[in-house]
Amino acid sequence: GVAPEAWPRVAMEASELWVGFVGAGRMAGGLVRGLLQAGKVPASNILASAPSDKNLDAWRELGCRTTHCNLEVVHRSTLVFLATKPHILPGVLEEIRPAVGSHHIVVSLVAGVTIQTLQRLLPPWTKVLRIMPNLPCVVQAGAMVFSRGTNAGDEEAALLKSLLSSCGLCEEVPESYIDIHTGLSGSGVAYVYLFAEALAEGAVKMGMPGALASRIAAQTLLGAAKMLLETGEHPAKLRGDVCTPGGTTIYALHQLEKGALRATVMDAVEAATNRACDMAKD
Amino acid sequence: MSVGFIGAGQLAFALARGFTAAGVLAAHKITASSPDTDLPTVSGLRKMGVNFSVSNKDTVKNSDVLFLAVKPPIIPFILEEVGPDIEARHIVVSCAAGVTISSIEKKLSTFCSTPKVIRCMTNTPVIVREGATVYATGTHADVEDGKLLEQLMASVGFCTEVEEDLIDAVTGLSGSGPAYAFTALDALADGGVKMGLPRRLAVRLGAQALLGAAKMLLESEQHPGQLKDNVCSPGGATIHALHFLESGGFRSLLINAVEASCIRTRELQHLADQEKISPAAIKKTLLDKVKLESPSLSVASASKVSLFTNKSKKN
Repeated sequence: GVAPEAWPRVAMEASELWVGFVGAGRMAGGLVRGLLQAGKVPASNILASAPSDKNLDAWRELGCRTTHCNLEVVHRSTLVFLATKPHILPGVLEEIRPAVGSHHIVVSLVAGVTIQTLQRLLPPWTKVLRIMPNLPCVVQAGAMVFSRGTNAGDEEAALLKSLLSSCGLCEEVPESYIDIHTGLSGSGVAYVYLFAEALAEGAVKMGMPGALASRIAAQTLLGAAKMLLETGEHPAKLRGDVCTPGGTTIYALHQLEKGALRATVMDAVEAATNRACDMAKD
Repeated sequence: MSVGFIGAGQLAFALARGFTAAGVLAAHKITASSPDTDLPTVSGLRKMGVNFSVSNKDTVKNSDVLFLAVKPPIIPFILEEVGPDIEARHIVVSCAAGVTISSIEKKLSTFCSTPKVIRCMTNTPVIVREGATVYATGTHADVEDGKLLEQLMASVGFCTEVEEDLIDAVTGLSGSGPAYAFTALDALADGGVKMGLPRRLAVRLGAQALLGAAKMLLESEQHPGQLKDNVCSPGGATIHALHFLESGGFRSLLINAVEASCIRTRELQHLADQEKISPAAIKKTLLDKVKLESPSLSVASASKVSLFTNKSKKN
């Protein structure tokens, strides 16, 4: 068929960009907060759709527009984020397909749905990109990777990167890395929570009150991560810098090595990645 | 300068071989002695052109730098025997694990008011001039004496001065270290053989791999973690293998090993200080031979040997 006309016609300037979200859940909410925080897109240019008002209230509070109609989002936006649950997506795509034009940029946040599947369910001229964010996008400290589909070019990739860098780290990757990113960083956030909990528990065992221990544990992780990112040094070197000979740290690290922590963490990343691959095949 | 070795075993042989290969010392400037002439190393030393004697006194007389290259429990007997012949000019270098400078100085003080004592910990690869040596100088050893030893030992590998209280840790790491490496190499070769390589080739390649890796690390500014990363291409063979090593607690095993060796060294030193080594720990034949050489020395017939008393007991 013929590509529908865009309404209204838009330029690629971020400030003139009309952004839509199909699905308004946690991940979408994280991204939109990042966008707004960066001040790149005015809230009034953002339209989100969801079946119920449950999630949409929060969006209205941010100044975004909301609707219950997915088609409206596609008609009124150039950049359309797909943020539904995986099993909902095929139905949604069928619904919006007639309205998708060659001017649209469709970015899917939907876990496990490949570019191939997206392109199969959308018109052949669609510019498709696939992104895998992680939860801390909500606080603008996310880690996101994205890949482009057949029709998405440098301009679209650059636009996405420039918009989402406000939410954290945003890198383009080959699609095969997306499942690995899930294992490393998507799920990885949970591994960190587990580690933080355990750190605090150790401190509680040694006599520190829990709330204080938890805050210090979190700050320790934050500080260490910040040093890693800002110094660019190898983690092994930074670890060595903390280990005075015969001191407390090396004693503790020995315990961690005895517990084969490294291998266990590698196992975890591997398991999550494999599961992501398996789920994508379903 | 002439060098002497009390003891003609593995350590004396390795050092003599290293020094002569390095050209810092001619073989005829080296003397070694041992009551036991059956040691395989004795014929090795003779072949090198080293002067061999059954008399420790000969060694002392003919040396400026005197290495005590005997097992730790034998040290006190040796000191009693050669003490009278030690002069102010001698530099006494003890290579015995766990034997402290103060214990040696205390023993020698009855014979010589200012004995120069240096304690050193080296390792067997001195034989191929890739040793790892540390030393600590005693009360009466001057800076020049330390430097002299350092020059000697630097000819057979890496040598640096340390505080004496670090020497046990060095024992655990580089003293015992070659044994850890031999074990690893044996196992690596097994892996190669399992996957189809002939044994000789597997051993050769394994050894070269470790040699090359060690050389890279010594010549690089980079952290070993970074060098490891450089070898691990994403999803490749090496990272799969490393995962296995981590699962097996490879790192902690190595930490455990160094710790165990260091702790055992301290234990042995502690036992020695408390004079708890029994004669049973010392080969009877050796003890007899030592007694033959120095009639003033006698061993108490009771179960304990007094290791560090100044007066020898009379029967």
